[in-house]
Amino acid sequence: MSYSWSLMGPIAITLLATTVLRRPGSRRFKWIQALVAVNFVAVFFVIFHGIEAGSWRAIFIATTNFIALTSAWDSIYWLKEHPSIAPGRYYLWWSLFWGALIVVSLSQNLALSWLALEFSTLSSAALIVEMSDRHSLEAAWKYMVIASVGLILGLIGIVFVYASLRYQGLSWSTLDYGNLHAQYSNIAPTVRELATIFIVTGFGTKAGLVPFHTWLPDAHSEAPSPVSGLLSGILLGLSLFTVARFINAVPAVAGSVISGSELLMIFGSISVVIGSLALLVQHDLKRLLAYSSIEQVGIMAVALGVGSRVALDAALAQFVFHALIKSTLFYSAGHLTVGYGTKRIDGITDLIARSRFQSFLWAAGILALAGLPPLGLAYSEWLIISQLWIHHAYGVVLLICGGLTLTFAALTHHLIRTLWDSSHLGSEYRTSPQGAI
Amino acid sequence: MTTLYLVLFIAALGLLWTRNMRLSIGLLALEGVLLSIMVWTSGYLSWTSALVALSTLAIKAGLIPAVLFKMVRATPTEVRQDQSLPLWAYGAAVVVTLGTVHIISLLGPSHLIQDKVAFFYSLSTVYLGMVMIVARRHLLSQIAALVSIENGLVLLGVSLAGSLPILIEFGILVDLVIAVTLLVWTGRRIHREFQTTDVVALQQLRG
Repeated sequence: MSYSWSLMGPIAITLLATTVLRRPGSRRFKWIQALVAVNFVAVFFVIFHGIEAGSWRAIFIATTNFIALTSAWDSIYWLKEHPSIAPGRYYLWWSLFWGALIVVSLSQNLALSWLALEFSTLSSAALIVEMSDRHSLEAAWKYMVIASVGLILGLIGIVFVYASLRYQGLSWSTLDYGNLHAQYSNIAPTVRELATIFIVTGFGTKAGLVPFHTWLPDAHSEAPSPVSGLLSGILLGLSLFTVARFINAVPAVAGSVISGSELLMIFGSISVVIGSLALLVQHDLKRLLAYSSIEQVGIMAVALGVGSRVALDAALAQFVFHALIKSTLFYSAGHLTVGYGTKRIDGITDLIARSRFQSFLWAAGILALAGLPPLGLAYSEWLIISQLWIHHAYGVVLLICGGLTLTFAALTHHLIRTLWDSSHLGSEYRTSPQGAI
Repeated sequence: MTTLYLVLFIAALGLLWTRNMRLSIGLLALEGVLLSIMVWTSGYLSWTSALVALSTLAIKAGLIPAVLFKMVRATPTEVRQDQSLPLWAYGAAVVVTLGTVHIISLLGPSHLIQDKVAFFYSLSTVYLGMVMIVARRHLLSQIAALVSIENGLVLLGVSLAGSLPILIEFGILVDLVIAVTLLVWTGRRIHREFQTTDVVALQQLRG
């Protein structure tokens, strides 16, 4: 059965959001949750063989659908905590965003991936605008402008590649990854290099690679928490893997000055260092998680830059583990900030005495993100470092290890402060009236 | 045809230079008309290229300028002007335009470029739009810059490949409509919340 069935879920939710949920006072959020759950199970069975075979598409779809399922579940509680948000509009943008992510996962064509990523920017930006306060408006504006300019750079690279192969007369299908790989030797070396630079920087902006990351901490911290989970856990990784698919399809010319793999290694290493350093000085809970995403995307970029079979598998594992952990942490952070009435880390303290469940979830998530063995990220990060060592990239090993050590120190420091430290005047924790926490 | 490319480039320069929002919108509409004429006069006219030309005219010369004009009318008269262009922006405009010449010489041996004049004007328009996004401070100027960059991109496709696949052409058009609508919606809310249309006010999120 075709993978395109995966789009039925987002289409159904869009219909529901534009009909039932538009009625004033409609609170039938659980319908949405049930539909997303049914979609997840049905699609999972359809793509199960693909997952078993290690197909990237199948794994992307399964991960996206699972995070969408948890996001839909968290949205029920989040909407109860934010009664000013119109559910109809929220779910309309949410379903369009989810649909765009599924199209990126499904796509076998570079131009389609570009279009879907652009639509994911617009739909997720609309969700940030829905928050309607000063910070979210600022974040949404920067996000739309910077990500759009980045994606335009990517499109210039795509036009270069298309123009080189226009003699095939295949129109849209010229940009299928399979066709690109079969025909890449017919693209002039200079054009290949220029296109790679445009595509890595353009899509890298959307992936949040440093130095193109400036929109990311703002957008991810100001978005509704269930959306931050999808943004951080799924969208960043899918953007990065789109770059990797292009680089694999159109490899660099032997002896070229700079290749896509090298660019990924360079930007990835810088992202790890900057992301982990920024973790040390964060005061805002959701910005802390956003900067951690930059560091995590950096690690994935380095692994994709190595390009060996094991490194690619490790990057895929890193994507899946990061999606699971980061989305959980964003949902949790959303409820904590509502419960404490502040986003400031120094205002969120003594959590262990106030909510056992929340403190367990928060601690497990942060420790997993810090790379504590035997939790998932420790395994994939170890694989990536060993691959770097095997490929004699000792300088990068040093940077990554330094970055991971800093990340561990920063995250455990913030964790200890939130769990036990009551020396600060922490804001009084209140249980949500709806019992969300 | 070369005259059309030149007028498009001059319109992009005018967009960067002008502080007047009404004139900016007029220049955007002019770019839309020029792009539409280019499709009509580019040789064999199929039903798909006619559809692209009509849609371009309707969206870029009609819908988008109308939406932007409505936003201008909704703002007080004193904020219908942008700030003066900083001096460095003139230098940057010269540098990016000369940079385009360098890219043409770089790509020369690859025989990628079909029409060097169109390529020069198109890539310069894209780069001038990027300078405009960084240098201009009015919310509407940034939206106009994005539309102008996209117009340059369409011309870039013409200069390199004759035309882009129809799905990409329409995808970009739909994307542009949604993007401009969202940006105008957000811009209005920013104006209401911050009491200004100056993007310099958007500096609360730091660190």
